[in-house]
Amino acid sequence: MPFVDYYQILGLQKTATDKEIKNAYRKLARKFHPDLNPNDKEAEKKFQELNEANEVLSDPEKRKKYDQYGKDWQHGEEYEKARQAQGQQRKWNGGDTGGDGFSDFFESMFGGSSGFGGGRQTKYRGQDYKAEVHLDLKEAYETHKQTLTVNGKNIRITVPAGIENGQTIKIAGHGGKGVNAGPDGDLYITFTVANDARLRRAGNDIYLKEDLDLYKAVLGGEIIIETLSGKIKLPVKAETQNGSVVRLKGKGFPVYKKDGQFGDLYVTFDIKIPTNLTERQKELFAELSKS
Amino acid sequence: MAMETEKLIAAETFCNHYRVTLSFVHSLHEIGLIETVVLENTEFIQVPHLQKIEQIIRLHDELDINLEGIQAIDSLLSRLETMQQEMVAIKNRLRIYEA
Repeated sequence: MPFVDYYQILGLQKTATDKEIKNAYRKLARKFHPDLNPNDKEAEKKFQELNEANEVLSDPEKRKKYDQYGKDWQHGEEYEKARQAQGQQRKWNGGDTGGDGFSDFFESMFGGSSGFGGGRQTKYRGQDYKAEVHLDLKEAYETHKQTLTVNGKNIRITVPAGIENGQTIKIAGHGGKGVNAGPDGDLYITFTVANDARLRRAGNDIYLKEDLDLYKAVLGGEIIIETLSGKIKLPVKAETQNGSVVRLKGKGFPVYKKDGQFGDLYVTFDIKIPTNLTERQKELFAELSKS
Repeated sequence: MAMETEKLIAAETFCNHYRVTLSFVHSLHEIGLIETVVLENTEFIQVPHLQKIEQIIRLHDELDINLEGIQAIDSLLSRLETMQQEMVAIKNRLRIYEA
């Protein structure tokens, strides 16, 4: 278990006064507070470190123990015994086990948290939960139901067709329980929608590359293409050029929460030149090239 | 509080639970950070706004930021959220060019 240098975390000398500790904590907390750095895991981690350092250094008892035994934390127990022998029974763990995010070093030395930085203990609204759901393009194309397990509870949700990659939806009241009959927190689900090897999505439009043989490209005809909604018969104009794009209106992705509305499908033709030609075929091409 | 519903919470109840004064809630309302609803002479806070008010209280109490500062932060956070949404949309568009 690595030693955690709380003075270094707050940028302080060991001789720092209470005022200096408070000022250093406030200054850094303003920089890394999660409310000011939404969705920033690094800032969240840094803020936890700051809180832990402040928890210890702003409490004279904890600071004394840390200064005396910090690097030899294993001796903390002996220290405790010595104190008890002197009739000074103190509890390092304030009874609140909400010490999530504390380092192993802290837990080992102090047992838990008595609350961050003198922050309020009473919470009214329950904690918000966050979850991530991964979908493939086909799943995101159709409205469907999914069962998620969040904090040991099964929650059945409806995923509306057209959900975007990175989109977050809120399921009200499915977060942590409220305190003192307060409302429960919310559940935030962020969706990751993977692109398909063939199909690429941009907003509500879908792009796909379709191979086209040279003869059909020259003479015209029709091809069958596979889309998310099934097979589509697509006419090919004679003399179609390589890389030309055809737009199929309303054959793209469903628009999120707008029934019956769809984006477009863009098909790019990738003309394939025949290989392994026979001598006769080569002669015919040569003849063509002269005409 | 008979009027309390799933959507509304009496400002007084809120203040008791969060250990803030009613004048603090009024100040938030006055500078436009939150909206309150008055029904039968009782002031209520809308439950969907609780998350934002909790955030304001944290900024005020934990970081010692005054209401003017919180107002500026609120505006910047709104812009940040809009930009994050735009970034997600742009990243999604870029994905069509990825191999």
